[in-house]
Amino acid sequence: MNSIWEVIDKTETGPYMEERDFDLKVVAKRCRELVKEYEIKFDPNEIITTDDTLADDLFEAGMRLALEAGIFCRSTKRIIKFEESEVHEAIVSAPNKLHIGTRKDARILYAREIEDKRAAIICGGQAGAPIPEEWYLPMSLSYMKEPLIDMINNGGLAVVEGRKVRTNTPLEIQATRRELSMLREAAARAGRPGIHLLAAESSVSALGDLAIASDRYMRTSDAHLVALLNELKTDYDRISKIVNFTEYGALNVTLVDPIIGGYAGGPEGVAVCFIASFLLGRAMYRSDYHVIHPIHFRYMSTSAVECMWNLNIVGQSMARNAPFILMGDVWTSAGAGTEMIFYETAANTITNVVTGSHPLGVSATNGKYPHASGLETRFMAEVALETVCSGLNRKNANEIVVKLAKEYKDRMDKPDIGKPFPELYDVSKVIPKPEWNAIYLKMKKKIADMTGLDL
Amino acid sequence: MSGTKLLDELANFVINGEPEKAAEAAKKALKSGLDPFKAINEGLMKGMAKVGDDFSKLKIYLPEVMMAAEAMNAALAILEPAALKKGGKSVKKGKVVIGTIYGDIHDIGKNIVAMLLKANGFEVYDLGREVPVDAMIKKSEEVGADVIAASTLLSTSMPYMEDLIALLKEKGIRKKFIVMVGGGPVTREWAKEIGADGYGDDGDEAVKVAKELLQKVKPR
Repeated sequence: MNSIWEVIDKTETGPYMEERDFDLKVVAKRCRELVKEYEIKFDPNEIITTDDTLADDLFEAGMRLALEAGIFCRSTKRIIKFEESEVHEAIVSAPNKLHIGTRKDARILYAREIEDKRAAIICGGQAGAPIPEEWYLPMSLSYMKEPLIDMINNGGLAVVEGRKVRTNTPLEIQATRRELSMLREAAARAGRPGIHLLAAESSVSALGDLAIASDRYMRTSDAHLVALLNELKTDYDRISKIVNFTEYGALNVTLVDPIIGGYAGGPEGVAVCFIASFLLGRAMYRSDYHVIHPIHFRYMSTSAVECMWNLNIVGQSMARNAPFILMGDVWTSAGAGTEMIFYETAANTITNVVTGSHPLGVSATNGKYPHASGLETRFMAEVALETVCSGLNRKNANEIVVKLAKEYKDRMDKPDIGKPFPELYDVSKVIPKPEWNAIYLKMKKKIADMTGLDL
Repeated sequence: MSGTKLLDELANFVINGEPEKAAEAAKKALKSGLDPFKAINEGLMKGMAKVGDDFSKLKIYLPEVMMAAEAMNAALAILEPAALKKGGKSVKKGKVVIGTIYGDIHDIGKNIVAMLLKANGFEVYDLGREVPVDAMIKKSEEVGADVIAASTLLSTSMPYMEDLIALLKEKGIRKKFIVMVGGGPVTREWAKEIGADGYGDDGDEAVKVAKELLQKVKPR
């Protein structure tokens, strides 16, 4: 087995390369060549694909990229290369079932299959967003209070005790500890003290992360995110996070977020890069589960058609060939308080649930504004549940998703960003205000009528 | 070779991202007596306009834009001195010092903006990522920049953008530079709040705003 010790050795001894050469001569070049060789094609009318051969071809292309490229370590400018046997071992040893959280709030997080009939695990929160300290507790509570939500991934703190948090400063430690303290408090108030937390979002460098490996903040039943840098890169900050959590015993989660329009190319090249990233991410970080987050170079949102196609084909490709536990992000352009967010959430969620991942969101406005609440995530959970209960297959799911995408795709350039949390919720009671609740009920009915789903 | 054919050739070498061939075509254009201004504006710029347009429509991607910008610069290095010799002004729209601000290692968004600025005729000094505030200012003074452009994907690096403006004021040189900010968590409202001159929601808007601000604040 390849351990983190051997990975550190590889960062010191792997082949040296300039980063620009890695970007252009390795990633950009090979992604394009492999897309051509395997004839991988994106079709905007087939956001959810039914071609298993395409999924398998993509996997083979991704495996080749993983073995040829390796991971570029920015701290040493050396390539961390893995042998084929090491990557295979990483696949075989990847958990396909995990116990997360504790006691009555524990859940089994599992690797979803294509058209899986089991209920998906719902991860709620506005991941990636900077959330004001004064709302952090009630906003977190708004997710914890939703019974359909199984685990939490909320945003980070940009301000702590009135001071703006800066990367790589002592305040990062305070912010990460405060984030965890408030999440714990919210969980206790909601009567779900053991709910699984995917947290430490306030820790951008390793500083905050190192400071919360304690039962008081993050338990060993919880998890933190460690990104793979774009594209196919890492550095010593990321590896430090892994080293710390590996010894502590909490869960490591890889965030993979290649950019459509970036070095990997278009939707097809990004799909190849995704597969390579998951395989190398597992081999390098020994991650327990993985977050799939395609980024659109203009809209950011995972609800963009090209991004949903990626969630679909990468999810299916992994489910068939390397069944990792995947959480598929649901990041919308629109904010809470709008009608548009429901169309985006429904399309993105159906795509994830049918093609091998659990939904994680809703990160409204792509986490740019704290315009989010528990209510739209309740909707995400209801859509996920009905997708499974109705036995939606890929073909029917595609028809629905294409129809839903038509409702918002031309508005992604100028989305309605909605309203901040305190304008949507009664903050003292932590319940949705009547106006926001009325929009939710209206849109739930509208989307049920439109899709035939019994929401 | 006819003038039209030469212009098409220059445009195509830019579109296809071929620096050596673009430089050769530039030499050929001068030798044939083609007006260097015409070669730049109706050859190179025409090619770059197509590249920018194709990138916006996701027909091509960042590496193609990078190669196109390299091709344009290779040809420009030959054509611009000739144009200046003929008594014209620099074809460069302005000088931009750009970087991902301190504390942030994310640079693809910044790279896209830098490439689009280059593609639109700006002289771009890309300082990379995790750039300390004082280093951005030092470089801007050194090259006589018109625009300082700072990017970040992290809300916890946004305060360093405020520091940038504060330090420019402290040094008494705030008015010397147009300051633009952008990136994932950065909003239009926040840019205004900290006293930045411009904001771009994406690469296209960043270029548009840079051009407008240069016209407005620093008429040439």
